[in-house]
Amino acid sequence: MIERTITVVPEAGLHARPASKFVETANEHDSEITIAPENGDSVNAASMLAVTGLGVKSGERVVVAADGPDEEAAVDALEAVLSTPEGDESEE
Amino acid sequence: MTNESNADPRTLAGTGATPLAGVGPALWYDADGEIELDDPPAPESVDADRERERFAEARETAREEIERERERAAERVGEEEAAVFDAHRQFLDDPQIQDGVADALDEGLPAAHAVQRAFAEPIETFEGMEGRMAERADDLRDVRDRLLRLLAGGDRVDLASLPEGTVLLAERLTPSDTAQLDPERVAGFATALGGRTSHAAIFARSLGIPAVVGVGDDLFGIDEGDDVLVDGDAGEVIVDPDEELRERASAGRDVEVREERVATRDGREIEVAANVGTLAELEGAVEGGADGIGLFRTEFLFLDRESPPDEDEQYETYVEALEAFPDGRVVVRTLDVGGDKPIPYLDLPEEENPFLGERGIRRSLGDDADLFETQLRALLRAAATAEGTLSVMFPLVATVEELEGALDRVEAVAAALDAAGVDHEVPELGVMIETPSAAFVAPELAERVDFLSIGTNDLAQYVMAAARENDRVAHLHDPLYPSVLRAIRRTVEAGRAGDAWVGMCGEMAGDPELTELLVGVGLDELSMSAVTVPNVKANVTAIDADDASALAERAVDAHTKAKVLEIIGNEQ
Repeated sequence: MIERTITVVPEAGLHARPASKFVETANEHDSEITIAPENGDSVNAASMLAVTGLGVKSGERVVVAADGPDEEAAVDALEAVLSTPEGDESEE
Repeated sequence: MTNESNADPRTLAGTGATPLAGVGPALWYDADGEIELDDPPAPESVDADRERERFAEARETAREEIERERERAAERVGEEEAAVFDAHRQFLDDPQIQDGVADALDEGLPAAHAVQRAFAEPIETFEGMEGRMAERADDLRDVRDRLLRLLAGGDRVDLASLPEGTVLLAERLTPSDTAQLDPERVAGFATALGGRTSHAAIFARSLGIPAVVGVGDDLFGIDEGDDVLVDGDAGEVIVDPDEELRERASAGRDVEVREERVATRDGREIEVAANVGTLAELEGAVEGGADGIGLFRTEFLFLDRESPPDEDEQYETYVEALEAFPDGRVVVRTLDVGGDKPIPYLDLPEEENPFLGERGIRRSLGDDADLFETQLRALLRAAATAEGTLSVMFPLVATVEELEGALDRVEAVAAALDAAGVDHEVPELGVMIETPSAAFVAPELAERVDFLSIGTNDLAQYVMAAARENDRVAHLHDPLYPSVLRAIRRTVEAGRAGDAWVGMCGEMAGDPELTELLVGVGLDELSMSAVTVPNVKANVTAIDADDASALAERAVDAHTKAKVLEIIGNEQ
């Protein structure tokens, strides 16, 4: 099992779009994956409900843990999601 | 009927979502809120296996519906808004919801009751959370109601085929609801809840539907069948409007699309152009009577793919845009990505503060130099091909050195095309003014280019040091603060002195209430969402340029935003 502490970059925290991307990515991997706020209880990273329910805000740190055949790749991919600021489609 | 305390009992105030008006008979949508279920029958009388099957079928159908709506939303409104349906699909598949439903079914509840119970707690949890997290409660309700409708067969209005000319009234409209509305059929909608940035409002703008949101409980005073006028420009819902109001509304609804260029009453020509972010939006821009494209975002070419588009693919796209406006101008912005716009194959750096990081021209002159060169080659070739005028502008320029760097690249690309005997032309070149730094050196920038285009959203963000997405400082993110207005005036004056035309792209340009102020400041071009082009064109023709200049001068010299509002409010 591997564990990594990651700072959440998207402006809105783990809100609809970033959360959706996070859950999608977790579901693409075979490992058992959890996410927890630093010093908080961990929840299933493949559950949209559980992930958005954490109410994690931008700038907060979370611990992502994965256990399974593709744990390294899973944590890398999830770190990329959490480190990517939210897409910005509005006008300049 | 309507609230007695209202000054005019027939007029309800809300927030205008689109600067359009429509009138028609009211139709209430889901007026009673939740779908009511009868008490569940005794567990013994429930066929649990049958209910499991029904739930599985409903879930499958719901998934298909969500996917269809996602596609439609992506087409009509854009990827960003369509993403909300991804969240809906994930809630539908959520293990916690699935377990909750399975437990309830095991206890002998019918499928509809099982769904209601499984969603109850999560909805309550999200309702108790702050800000945007609370919006997830709406998404959960949306998914739950979809399942309940499929299971209990509630008699919901079919939004895709409303009687023509209906004004739809609802407590709220979910993204699924709004995405189904047919702008050809519905005369408008009004909701009790929701703000200018709610999904319903964003969809309404994209679809060009007259809409007022956030009217409050007074909306419930309107009876089904009442004649209702939705004035998205004034942010008003008027019950039983008189003939004069109706005429005004139908004039507003059908703001004449002017294909010709417009000028102020005293003859100052103002170019009114559209912002375009996908090829699908080109058509809307032409239909809205835009003179051209004031901001052609090229990011869409690079997003959602594994590798960048090659030179020919880009060339084709730019030519297509130019062909849509054979007599007009198409201002293409070179690739504007950075830490805040994720593109996997670009390997963008992780940054502490992406808005102040490596974005726009900074990347084009650095890590993305090859991409920049390819894009310039495609642009220079397109400029020589099509009839319309191509203009190219560089985003996030902060220094004269950066501009000179970009101009050098253009020169180098032109020389290479020359050497290779490839047909090309150097287009008009310009700079986006979106940093305070660019506004300060605007005279030096203007001397070196053909035009300046002010990006007000970013300019306001940087001048006010208030992030665009941060709700806590949203009140500061407003271009009507004198400091932002002065940066705009400075840019216009620099353009004039340097013989460069000055335009504005961004939300400010498309606010019909600000047309006089912007014309008065001296802008030559305004570029906005296609849907507001007809309104702004109509406003331009009603303005006297001298009066507008006097108004702008007073507004820009004002000391406070409140004073600015007073000045433009009083004199419009």
